[in-house]
Amino acid sequence: MAGSKPWFFRSTWVFHLNSGSCNGCDIEVLNMFAPTQDVERLGVKLVGSPLHADVVVFTGPVTYQALPYVVEALKAVPEPKAVVACGSCACGGGIWHDSYNVVGGVNALYEILESQGIPKPTTIYVPGCPPKPEAIMYGVLLARGLAEQRQRREVFVEEVPEGLAIPEGVEGLEEVVAKAVKAFRYGGR
Amino acid sequence: MRRASEYDLKLLLKSLGAEEVSEPHEGALLVRVNWRRLPGLIQGLLREVGLEGVRHSTCVGIDARPLNSSFKVLHILALDAARKYLIIEVEARRDRASVPSITPLMPAANWAEREAMDLLGIRFEGHPEPYRLILPDDWPEGIYPLRKDFPYNRKLSQLLKGSGRLSNEPRSFSANYLVRQEEGWVKYAAVPFGPYHPALHEPEYFEVLVEGERVIDARYRGFFVHRGMEKLAESRMTVNQIPFLAERICGICGYTHACAYCQAVEAAAGIDVPERALYIRSILLEIERLHSHLLWFGVAYHVLGFDTGFMAMWRIREDVMRVAEALTGNRKTYGMNLVGGVRRDIDVKKAALVLRMLDRVEREFKEFYSHTLAMGEVVERVKGVGVLTREDAAKLGAVGPHARASGLSIDVRVDHPYAAYGFVDVNVAVQDSCDVLARIVVRYEEVLESIRLIREFLTNMPEGELMAEDVEIPPLRVGVGATEAPRGEDVHVVVTSGGNKVYRWRPRAPSYMNLATVPTMLRGERLANVPIIIASIDPCFSCTDHVLVVDARTGAKRVLRLGALLKRG
Amino acid sequence: MGRLSILAEGLSKHVVTEKYPYEPVEVPEGFRGKPRIDPSRCVGCGACVNACPPNALSIADEGGYRVLKLFIGRCIFCGRCEEVCPFQAIKLSKEFELAATDVGDLTQEVRLVMAKCAVCGEPYATLREVRKVAEALPDGLRALAYVCPRCRELMTSHYAGFARR
Repeated sequence: MAGSKPWFFRSTWVFHLNSGSCNGCDIEVLNMFAPTQDVERLGVKLVGSPLHADVVVFTGPVTYQALPYVVEALKAVPEPKAVVACGSCACGGGIWHDSYNVVGGVNALYEILESQGIPKPTTIYVPGCPPKPEAIMYGVLLARGLAEQRQRREVFVEEVPEGLAIPEGVEGLEEVVAKAVKAFRYGGR
Repeated sequence: MRRASEYDLKLLLKSLGAEEVSEPHEGALLVRVNWRRLPGLIQGLLREVGLEGVRHSTCVGIDARPLNSSFKVLHILALDAARKYLIIEVEARRDRASVPSITPLMPAANWAEREAMDLLGIRFEGHPEPYRLILPDDWPEGIYPLRKDFPYNRKLSQLLKGSGRLSNEPRSFSANYLVRQEEGWVKYAAVPFGPYHPALHEPEYFEVLVEGERVIDARYRGFFVHRGMEKLAESRMTVNQIPFLAERICGICGYTHACAYCQAVEAAAGIDVPERALYIRSILLEIERLHSHLLWFGVAYHVLGFDTGFMAMWRIREDVMRVAEALTGNRKTYGMNLVGGVRRDIDVKKAALVLRMLDRVEREFKEFYSHTLAMGEVVERVKGVGVLTREDAAKLGAVGPHARASGLSIDVRVDHPYAAYGFVDVNVAVQDSCDVLARIVVRYEEVLESIRLIREFLTNMPEGELMAEDVEIPPLRVGVGATEAPRGEDVHVVVTSGGNKVYRWRPRAPSYMNLATVPTMLRGERLANVPIIIASIDPCFSCTDHVLVVDARTGAKRVLRLGALLKRG
Repeated sequence: MGRLSILAEGLSKHVVTEKYPYEPVEVPEGFRGKPRIDPSRCVGCGACVNACPPNALSIADEGGYRVLKLFIGRCIFCGRCEEVCPFQAIKLSKEFELAATDVGDLTQEVRLVMAKCAVCGEPYATLREVRKVAEALPDGLRALAYVCPRCRELMTSHYAGFARR
């Protein structure tokens, strides 16, 4: 998606969907439209109905009570659409990811959607708690194909060294243990 | 009751039937009373101090069965004039797990008692509305999430497995109500206001009953934002992880929650927080108040249709966010607290940053505000709108700017000083007109007062440590920590478990109290005024919904409880 | 009158809008951005895993390696991991542009070789941990670091005479 031809042939219309968040991310989303950031100069506009949206900015870990409304709202957004999962709660369930009334962020939500035959929408994950308005802007631009992704998975695998046995110069185990026990019992060497 | 000495209070409480009165920490009295004598005690207190002399802050239900006891209920009453919190401890009847309800005597206790009913299964005998509050109407009976035998991470989907119902079926909204009036049954049309109405940013649900353009009644059915925090704190979390949990109760006033929690633990454990840390906490708390009020001004102007105001206020607010970022590492969720102190210092350079910001914000805010007050169309929409009488405010336990706009001079910074507020004089902003305009004026004055306080704190901040040494937490101590959040009194109650855990944590955010005043304010108003009236209490829905909620199991329609609402007030 | 004043003021003010994304945004010193494990310093002790409030850090033993995973999707950027790490192996940077199209991109993994017990052959700690402990022990006891806790216990009790022969 990122870097390819933009799929929207007009400005990005954004619907803001809160699935039970603390409002931290929501305020930063709103802050994007404030004068200092002014994301509207990039053609991004906030709409009041999911039916008008291209991109859904999704916040919150999805509480079970909000779940039905979230599903309805997401179903109402016409294709092509993208979901910008904003913040720790949406990306991974947040600090309460395993609480029993929390579904667990967008990926857990998608499992429920898939079980109902609704395909997983294109998703951009924006970590943060809350992410800066600029970080969310970057995420929206990524969704729009106007930015390059910088974050990559990183794996380090330690090299297995030659031989794992006790290195040279260390005394045999039996003597060591006997000495240690003697010291412990009699308080000295 | 003017600043009664502790001796008088103890005597009074004993004479009203208390079995034991002790002082768990400064500013609090632990009052043990038998359940039989609870109503008498409350009645006697009300008689002595009057409705405005004692406030019901919250009630905490505790599953004390593992402690060789039954269920316990702690009623937290605030005696602002006496600068004390009363912790009224009642043990439930063992056979019925019940205590008498005090809601008939103190209406402000309504929601708190219902919450304990919902989450712990404690019965409150005599409660006028013993219906579900937090959990959905069709939540399975007999399963009480906050009981110690319920595992915190058993997901709802597991609970509902095999019940044959999809847990994400939308609840049906009742569109027409039958209400019994004097002339017989009358049909009303309800306008669902939410859960994703553009005027609101959170998924909350107001049911507003209308007759033409007039609001007959309103009902709040929220608690969509329950995340099971209280349960999480008792189970997976450690004492020093909870400040981060508390900070995420609300993304606007999070730091005040982190402070109230830390204060509760520090009070319970008798930890002396170094003075410099107290000053740093106070400075950050006031910075949070600044950002929150400026945010509110923006939202209020937006709701009134004055988007220039929204833009201007959020432009002014940006400075505050940048300073917060420089001081704490993030614009919001400061992450500055651990039990015993703070994690970062405010050095001379940072202090200079703050002072420069304050000068700019003060100048620009004052200027813009005076322009808007000169605009007739703004003032007309808020004058005389959304009235909450002083009596109603006191009865329903309203707090913060909302209460102060209705003439009640209450402010935790003065009544129960915490952090460094005991070292300064705080000017409390009070108005008498009880309408939305009054709430605007109160918040304006508070912004200016915050600016003045931050300057004073920065000037007087002493040198010293940032963290208490040797933090030791003894088991089964109770502590009450209260702060004046931007929206009002924020109370946290902690019962320690010893070591690294807590036994019970009960945060009660200010909006909890203020939301209960919404039906009263909306009655008789024009439908078009509903958004600004709701916005005028500065509702923070996530603060109110910090406990868990679970979805309905069947599609059964809930019987309306309108009669109960009409009876209120 | 108020309206006109606002208009006049607005026209006289300079532009406050920042130029992001066409120009980078600076964050202050001490900004809590993306955490990163330094693979050369980490020994796999797990102190960060214990401290992490949202369980963004996790540790598990897999196929002879101790695997430390950092999922920044769930990270709350509190900095407790940095605070508690005894080896300064995890630090928060100034990076905040972390958006990704795949949730798998949000992970950092560090796989550390596990030492096998010289007696029973079972993996019990990372080789780095064992070597650090061995360095700190006096000559006569150094070999003990290469034995797993269970074997150590059995051997010591054997020699101390607690085990029945």
